[in-house]
Amino acid sequence: MRSRYSVGLSNAVCTGCSCLCDDIEIELEGNSIARIKNACIKGASFFYAADAWQWRAPYLIGKREVTGEQAIERAAELLKQSRHPLIFGFDNSTIEAQASAIELARILGAVIDDCSSFCQGELVLHILNGTLPTCPLSEVKDTDLIIYWGANPYHSHPRHLSKFSYYAHERYQEAGWIPKVTLVSIEVRETETTLLSRPSLKILPGEDGKLIGSILSTIRGQEEGEEAKTIVDLMKNAQFCVIFVGLGLTYALDGDFSLFAEMIRELGKWTRIGVIPMVGHFNMRGFNHLLFQKTGYINKVSFADGTSYGPGFSLLEQLRNHLPDCLLIAGTDPFSSLPGHLIDNLKDVTIISLDPFITSTTKASAVVFGTAVSGLEAGGRAVRMDGTEVPMLPVREGRLSDEQILKLLLERVSR
Amino acid sequence: MPQIPLIIITYRDVFQWVANQRRVEHLPSVRISESDLNELGIADGDRVKFSNAAGSIVVQAKLDQDCRRGFGYMPISPYSNRLVSYDGSRARLPNFKRIEVLAQAYCDETG
Repeated sequence: MRSRYSVGLSNAVCTGCSCLCDDIEIELEGNSIARIKNACIKGASFFYAADAWQWRAPYLIGKREVTGEQAIERAAELLKQSRHPLIFGFDNSTIEAQASAIELARILGAVIDDCSSFCQGELVLHILNGTLPTCPLSEVKDTDLIIYWGANPYHSHPRHLSKFSYYAHERYQEAGWIPKVTLVSIEVRETETTLLSRPSLKILPGEDGKLIGSILSTIRGQEEGEEAKTIVDLMKNAQFCVIFVGLGLTYALDGDFSLFAEMIRELGKWTRIGVIPMVGHFNMRGFNHLLFQKTGYINKVSFADGTSYGPGFSLLEQLRNHLPDCLLIAGTDPFSSLPGHLIDNLKDVTIISLDPFITSTTKASAVVFGTAVSGLEAGGRAVRMDGTEVPMLPVREGRLSDEQILKLLLERVSR
Repeated sequence: MPQIPLIIITYRDVFQWVANQRRVEHLPSVRISESDLNELGIADGDRVKFSNAAGSIVVQAKLDQDCRRGFGYMPISPYSNRLVSYDGSRARLPNFKRIEVLAQAYCDETG
């Protein structure tokens, strides 16, 4: 770790989203951020927020500020007393912290789940199982067809187009329209990305599955609409296509990618295809990869009776059925992000939260650990949206990291 | 006051992300078509109330000439989540991005 009073530029990895941009330069004055270079508006605002100490979470038991030691003691006590503990989140934590969280769940006989169980998890599972082809972002330069489906990277991943795809493409030519790489979007509304795309296919909300069905029919020789024919023709003429799948497609398919995988298999007979999920949290894929490696499942795992998996172990189902009595959460704010009626079910649950910032969830927690911001104050490893592992080094000193707190908790509950 | 059915499509908005990082309070808003504004009897910038079985919220309505009739575009937030439902026996995922509501003009009775 660098000196507390280091001055000058330090290289950092941005943890604002799962692009994990590794060319960020942060200039410190004392321990404060004076300037950030290369980050997008999303990453820069995230890092600058880390300097607003009034928004950073302290160590709390109830509303009372305590020492880290006292918070560890109380959290361990609550976890040991719990009859149905649930460990949730860790998509904004390093792989090292995730490993400790999984170990903690195992020791406690807890259920463990993350946000992927209600966003891109099924897609990642297809990729890990090999039922969908993928490629690293470094290979996007070799494509001649880029498709964003239900994604608007201008807002979700602002540097995606410039650092990894369209504008970073070797054959992209700024002067004039020489379409050596074709950018396509499939969207329900007009966005910055659709304005740039040629063609931009506009579909009705929720009709993505219907379009996939039409593409499959078109492949089989039936006429099934202009949009399907356009996609099939583009694929037939392409050498290598990358499809970036956004949450728009995921939710339209209700998380079921089986028909999508069938379409990719068929289209793959004409051209090489790589599918990459537009993951939001910086290390959601890390959580999926690690849990898969340790248990064979990417989320929704219970260690209550050996290792078991099932939809019933998702946070949503657990809360819907009022099952957990103690919830350990890291790096996510379910009070802001869950459907309202499930938030009501959280009110009877004892919550222990780890978060760098004060959130609606930390405000409702029995114990709060204000943690270091990964990439800025804590190092470790993370897995980018394309499955590439990215190492991170901290650029300044900070509070204890998720990893350090979890190790202390592990030690305490194991006694 | 007339009530009309709308389907709310939510999306990620980077400016809302920045506002959240800076702890800036912002009035939630929805973009809807001119014909829906007219049918509701409200003008660009007026408030509209959305209700469904999950809950109800009041947001600012903004005119969007590109919005299809019958739809509303809204950045995803704790406000839109108040209207989201989840029943694992009927769907795998909550309907975060496609929310059916009844819309009507909102009049603040407290003045």
